[in-house]
Amino acid sequence: MTHVITDACVDEKDASCMEECPVDCIYEGGSRMYIHPGECIDCGLCAEVCPNGAAVALRLLDPAAAAVHGPANDAFFTRVLPGRQAPLGSPGGASRLGPLDVDPS
Amino acid sequence: MNEPLTVDLLVVGAGPAGLFATFCAGFRGLSVAVMDALPELGGQVGAMYPEKAILDIAGMPAVTGRDLVEGLTGQAMTARPHLLLGHTAQTLAYEDGTPVVTSDQGQTVRAAAVLVTGGIGAFTPRPLPGCTGYEGRGLSYFVTDLDDLTDRDVLVVGGGDSAFDWALAAVGRARSVTLAHRRDTFRAHRATVDKVLASEAQVCTRTQVAALHCGPDGRIESADLKGQDGIRRIKAQRVVAALGFTASLGPLESWGMNLDGRHIAVDSHMATSLPRVFAAGDITAYPGKVRLIAVGFGEAATAVNNAATVLDPASDLFPGHSTERHVSTTREGDS
Repeated sequence: MTHVITDACVDEKDASCMEECPVDCIYEGGSRMYIHPGECIDCGLCAEVCPNGAAVALRLLDPAAAAVHGPANDAFFTRVLPGRQAPLGSPGGASRLGPLDVDPS
Repeated sequence: MNEPLTVDLLVVGAGPAGLFATFCAGFRGLSVAVMDALPELGGQVGAMYPEKAILDIAGMPAVTGRDLVEGLTGQAMTARPHLLLGHTAQTLAYEDGTPVVTSDQGQTVRAAAVLVTGGIGAFTPRPLPGCTGYEGRGLSYFVTDLDDLTDRDVLVVGGGDSAFDWALAAVGRARSVTLAHRRDTFRAHRATVDKVLASEAQVCTRTQVAALHCGPDGRIESADLKGQDGIRRIKAQRVVAALGFTASLGPLESWGMNLDGRHIAVDSHMATSLPRVFAAGDITAYPGKVRLIAVGFGEAATAVNNAATVLDPASDLFPGHSTERHVSTTREGDS
């Protein structure tokens, strides 16, 4: 159970979270950010700085919301993104990958 | 190259687990060295959460990160440890079966046992964008000696606790203090922010450092700050960039320990897959692991006492009760 970004980030992309994340696990997609569920250490700094309340601890969401926001966040890594042959998987650092201009369909 | 050091136990990582392990080692009479990539004790708690109230430390209903680190440091110092701060543990080798760890600064430590309490890995300060190469010429990521700010024009960059703590520490000591932050909200503790705002320090929001300029001696003498109204130049001989940290297991991954993701696999002795190398705290992995400071303390005690029996197979695993120890030392003193 880690932190996730919700759709409150869509078209905001403030990116404060990316500056704070100590393990560089917040990735930039076309319309919003995504937190890598395997790379996140659950430190909570992203939730502290997000001006839009979009970064949240999955475990603090009610089950119905978690069932929506968890998979929507994780899809960036588990689904094949437009224009790619394979899922991103675990890129091991957002700065290594750079921003992508796509979102999971 | 520094003089090689020989100790019974080398603790790698000076966070809560490492500091408590240091105390445990001293309690057993082991000589101990503590190595950490950061120039200060406290690890993640000190660097990232100094002002947060921690509620799940046994026996302490609420304690700030700063106070917890202070208490742990006082306890650890009873072991009279050799402190190797600003040293990232780089390589592990064995000489006649004894682990030898070398830091990135070239310090070699020959230790009868090594205890890795590395948390989420070695912390590296985030660089000031566009300003690399000025380190040692007036740009630093930490203030280890406040006297260094005396009578200087000081520019602090960042909006977190460290930035505000250093700005506050510089006020009254420095000739001028400017705090620049790229946003208009601050993550730092509210009370500290208010103190800085009420002080003579100049706080510039939505401002970034566009460039640093050096004098003929090659040291920084001014900075260009880019705000909403354009670029202006301020005098600054000391620039402190407090932009947070990134962490990575880094060189530990090449030591050859069995890993579990970004964690080190240990058994119930807190032993890793390498001889005489133990691990404790957030960095360990085993079935049922819970990553809390409270658990790290217990693992630290388990690791140190099991390490002690490896160093001296005749010694007891159980270190004795600290209360008994107090009684016996009093009696020795009396006689």
